[in-house]
Amino acid sequence: MLGQVVISGLLAGALYSMVALGLGLIFGVMRVLNVSHGPLLMLGAYTTFWLFQWLGLNPYVSLVVSMPLLFMVGMGLQRLFVRRVVDAPELSTLLLTFGISIALVNLAQLAFTADLRSVEFLTGSFVVGPFAFSKSRVIACAFAIVITMAAFVFLKTTRLGKAIRAVSQSREVAQVCGIDVGRIHMLAFGIGSALAAAGGTLVAVMVAIQPEMGQVYTFKSFLVIVLGGAGNYPGALLGGLLLGLIEQMSSLFLTTQINEAVAYVLLVLVLLVRPTGLLKGRAS
Amino acid sequence: MRRLFLPLLALALLILALYPIKGTGYGVRFMLQLFMWIALAQSWNLISGLTGYVSFGHIAFFGMGAYTAGILIAKLGWPWLLASLAGGLGAVVLALVIGFPCLRLKGPYFAIAMLGLNEVLRVAVSYFERLTGGGSGLSLPALYASVPIYYAMGLTAAAVTALAYVIVTSRFGLRLMTIREDEVAAEAMGIDTFRYKLYAFLLSAVAPGIVGGLAARDQSYIEPISVFPLIMTITMIVMVLFGGKGTIWGPVLGAVLLFTLQEMIWARFIYLHQLLFGAIIITVVLLMPRGILGVLQQKYNLPRTI
Repeated sequence: MLGQVVISGLLAGALYSMVALGLGLIFGVMRVLNVSHGPLLMLGAYTTFWLFQWLGLNPYVSLVVSMPLLFMVGMGLQRLFVRRVVDAPELSTLLLTFGISIALVNLAQLAFTADLRSVEFLTGSFVVGPFAFSKSRVIACAFAIVITMAAFVFLKTTRLGKAIRAVSQSREVAQVCGIDVGRIHMLAFGIGSALAAAGGTLVAVMVAIQPEMGQVYTFKSFLVIVLGGAGNYPGALLGGLLLGLIEQMSSLFLTTQINEAVAYVLLVLVLLVRPTGLLKGRAS
Repeated sequence: MRRLFLPLLALALLILALYPIKGTGYGVRFMLQLFMWIALAQSWNLISGLTGYVSFGHIAFFGMGAYTAGILIAKLGWPWLLASLAGGLGAVVLALVIGFPCLRLKGPYFAIAMLGLNEVLRVAVSYFERLTGGGSGLSLPALYASVPIYYAMGLTAAAVTALAYVIVTSRFGLRLMTIREDEVAAEAMGIDTFRYKLYAFLLSAVAPGIVGGLAARDQSYIEPISVFPLIMTITMIVMVLFGGKGTIWGPVLGAVLLFTLQEMIWARFIYLHQLLFGAIIITVVLLMPRGILGVLQQKYNLPRTI
């Protein structure tokens, strides 16, 4: 039982890590908490659903469409709106991205209706000894790990990745070194959105797709980056895995209804006890 | 202008006080809800407009008031006016409990913590079924009392506005605004910032608690999702921002304009409602972050206590 729970937790956690890394990247680089992160994930899920519906495209293959598509959407949103509030107080950034968030959800409702959709692909479970794991979750976890690692390799080794990290450490110094900060902001928002889209594509196979599916992931991603320490990218990985584990563990003892609140209680507790996160991040 | 202001205000209050005699049922209910929004927006302004601490879960106090009053009315048979006042008290107690730890958080962390607390409260209310009726809600005994509730809501809205005036023109208000401009400097000048933030927070919880109780009585039915919605927090924030953050009449102006707009225009476009609201939020944040009064204040050199 415990083994099953731990592994399920890690499977879910890898996905959280990837989605939250996107949010963390945007927050780290721009100091903008993107409330529309979940709705961007929802758009990724719909991309996968329609490609599957119309063309019968393998949902995992649709990653190569959903990620670039949302990368462009993210860059567009940054260029049009978010760019203007980068230095504004948090009230402006939170409200603006909230405005974007409800506009996106409503657009999705208009375009796709509020019907629950599902991608029926890869049902059933892998059975290993006493454990059973749904195939879609295992594969989602595998993809999440690969994409997260790719993102880290990009951040660590490429010039662009280094520029992104430089901007998130100190915008002024980065600017003095000749980095085009505006361009980095746009790229970071694009990459963050693409990571959300990847999350959307991967959960599309597991859960019902509907316009309001994303909000939950916004809050969970907040929690993950708070857990790991805001602006600390490896921290997001740890935070995601921890959240997955805690959620699975608590589901053993608590009813589903109360389990819903675990993430929020945890969020508040961590903020109060250790606002810099478990690995040291920045307290603003 | 300044000499005209007080007589005009008195005239407006007189008209509002006499309105239920002539007004239609719809009109009275419209005004009653408008008063509720004024009270909510004005209260948010007290903590967030003055100190700069963005409460993203302010509707939690409304929900707390609604459930406190709802339970007192439905289970103990309290009269609704008393129960609503108790709702205000309940909200202050809640503010005290969460204010102590949360007001130490800065910037976006305070905002997220408030957001999280609101959700925790919503789930907690659904969980304690025996007391609150859980997810299926709490029904209050039927009572037709639109007109008395109209007056109670109106008085609350007027009282918070008067409170805002008193605070903005006092040394207490100045200290709060110093915290907003630069908390470290405020601390260095000898202001006990935590204590003042806490006072502002407590004051900002009273009216939402009371109008929560009144709204519960008015609707005769409450459920967790109807009294703890994030969208209501956002609506009051946008009202304040639209009218003018940190001013006395800004929240009133914002509430009147936005609520009227909502009732007159959006109600006809049910499908586009949220999209329009999103567009309004984006427009207000990008184009007029100082709000209508803020812009006028700057342009015409109006007094700070507008």
